[in-house]
Amino acid sequence: MAEDKRVDLGIELSGIRLRNPVLVCSGTYGNGREYAEWLELEALGGLMTKSVTLAPCPGNAPPRLWETPSGMLNSIGLENAGLERFLADELTWLSHLDLPVWVNVAGFSPEEYVEVAGEISRTGLAAALELNISCPNVKRGGIHFSHDAHEAAALVELVKAEIEIPLYVKLTPRCTDIAHTAAMVAAAGADGISMINTFPAMAVDIETASPRLGNVTGGLSGPAIHPIAVRMVWEVARAVDLPIIGMGGIWTWKDAVEMMMVGSDAVAVGTLNFADPAAPLGIVDGIAAFLERKGMDSVTELVDMVRGEDE
Amino acid sequence: MARRQCGCFVELTMEMGEPFAAAPGQFVHVRCEVPGLILRRPYSLYDVRKGSASLLIREVGAGSAWLCAVEEGCELDMLGPLGRGFSMSAGGRHALIAGGTGIAAIRFLATRLMELDGDTVVFWGVEGEKECGGLHGALDGEFDLRLATMDGSAGYAGNVIELFRASGTEGFTGIYACGPRGMLAGLAECIGSEGLARLQVCMEERMACGVGACRGCAVPVSSPPGGYLTACKDGPVFTGRELDWRRING
Repeated sequence: MAEDKRVDLGIELSGIRLRNPVLVCSGTYGNGREYAEWLELEALGGLMTKSVTLAPCPGNAPPRLWETPSGMLNSIGLENAGLERFLADELTWLSHLDLPVWVNVAGFSPEEYVEVAGEISRTGLAAALELNISCPNVKRGGIHFSHDAHEAAALVELVKAEIEIPLYVKLTPRCTDIAHTAAMVAAAGADGISMINTFPAMAVDIETASPRLGNVTGGLSGPAIHPIAVRMVWEVARAVDLPIIGMGGIWTWKDAVEMMMVGSDAVAVGTLNFADPAAPLGIVDGIAAFLERKGMDSVTELVDMVRGEDE
Repeated sequence: MARRQCGCFVELTMEMGEPFAAAPGQFVHVRCEVPGLILRRPYSLYDVRKGSASLLIREVGAGSAWLCAVEEGCELDMLGPLGRGFSMSAGGRHALIAGGTGIAAIRFLATRLMELDGDTVVFWGVEGEKECGGLHGALDGEFDLRLATMDGSAGYAGNVIELFRASGTEGFTGIYACGPRGMLAGLAECIGSEGLARLQVCMEERMACGVGACRGCAVPVSSPPGGYLTACKDGPVFTGRELDWRRING
């Protein structure tokens, strides 16, 4: 196991101890239970749950998936059983594991975000929250938190007032200046940044001239967006002094190392989990071997290595 | 892994390293080692015997093309068996209806129903006889197989639902189907609400995780109204009354 190796893979994010810096992204690992029979969940660095909304959410009309070159489009539409069921069935189960859990919170109004975040914080069962202000697949509500940095910051302030656990804000690549959005949510009190969400995209069946997705457009994930994520983490890491969980098409341990070298403190594996649910553990081993080869003592030495000494 | 070609279909038979028990309708999620292709491909189990399992593949895209051409003796990376299979009871008279590669799940089911002393009739719809490459002849030796071809080259000329209707839809204790959505919707309409109570269908959907985590393979269901279940975990087999046929048709 990776823990037995000489290098130290442990990290600390906002006071939360992680045994390694590799988490799994929201929406790609369910609430953990779906994978419990396949692997040892406690070997992960952390788990980011599927989005939780106040009321049960049926999700979008199918088809919800379409594979593209080195990527995948999805328009799930936040399907989940709602806060009450999440607390009773999922969070309680997860809390018995020795595994830091970021609960991903979504909503259709600021009040909903605040209520869900507050309830989860008060259970004391979650390590942190991840605020999903950037789902590309939900049209209801008419509030564009993710487009407007001011709206995002206002929401962060409201949520922060109701919670006692760290708040990570998940940023979308759909913006003109992601570093500006990051700076705004940081100023509003965010404890960390997770980035990036999927990239809005579309595919068409040319035989029938119809969209591949029931929702017409969806979010692109997978290796196709990885270089975009690397560039954006690079920009945000230079703009804010908050922990960053970097995600976006991580496919190998090299991608994870790359993401940390541009400034993320931890990484999260997403779409790759569909191809291989055990891949995050292989990435942990790959990072450990790389650190040993480079003669590094701690994984934290990777963070921001690219920045260099001239800055 | 060993390969056998029958017309457009390729039967892959895998030796299983460990005990492998599966129900008809269950599937395996297969990784296809094609650069740029990231998702696994779900395949119904076609046959499961002591120490081996087989799939029936038809080339429709990059993933299936890779599987059809994979070298004999290679190891395949598969997750499974996954999902909920058909519910079976002993005895009875059963109509099994397959469209195209839907014959994979239906053949496995027919074998098991006969082991349970059931009387089975299998209706299989394909484009033309050439597509089958003799597979229909081989299967006809295993059970009562009635072929429908769209081009009229063998068996009944027309679609498989017309053939089923022409054969008389009454008198079956169970009706089971696997095939494209259009075929399943046509069947549901053909047998009406009384028939839905005896119907089980195996849905063919695009999937990502295969274990109920991503909610990508949503199937419209009647309860709760407007809701969905996953083909991979809650299905792929559903009862006729579980599904919301109005939205499946749409």
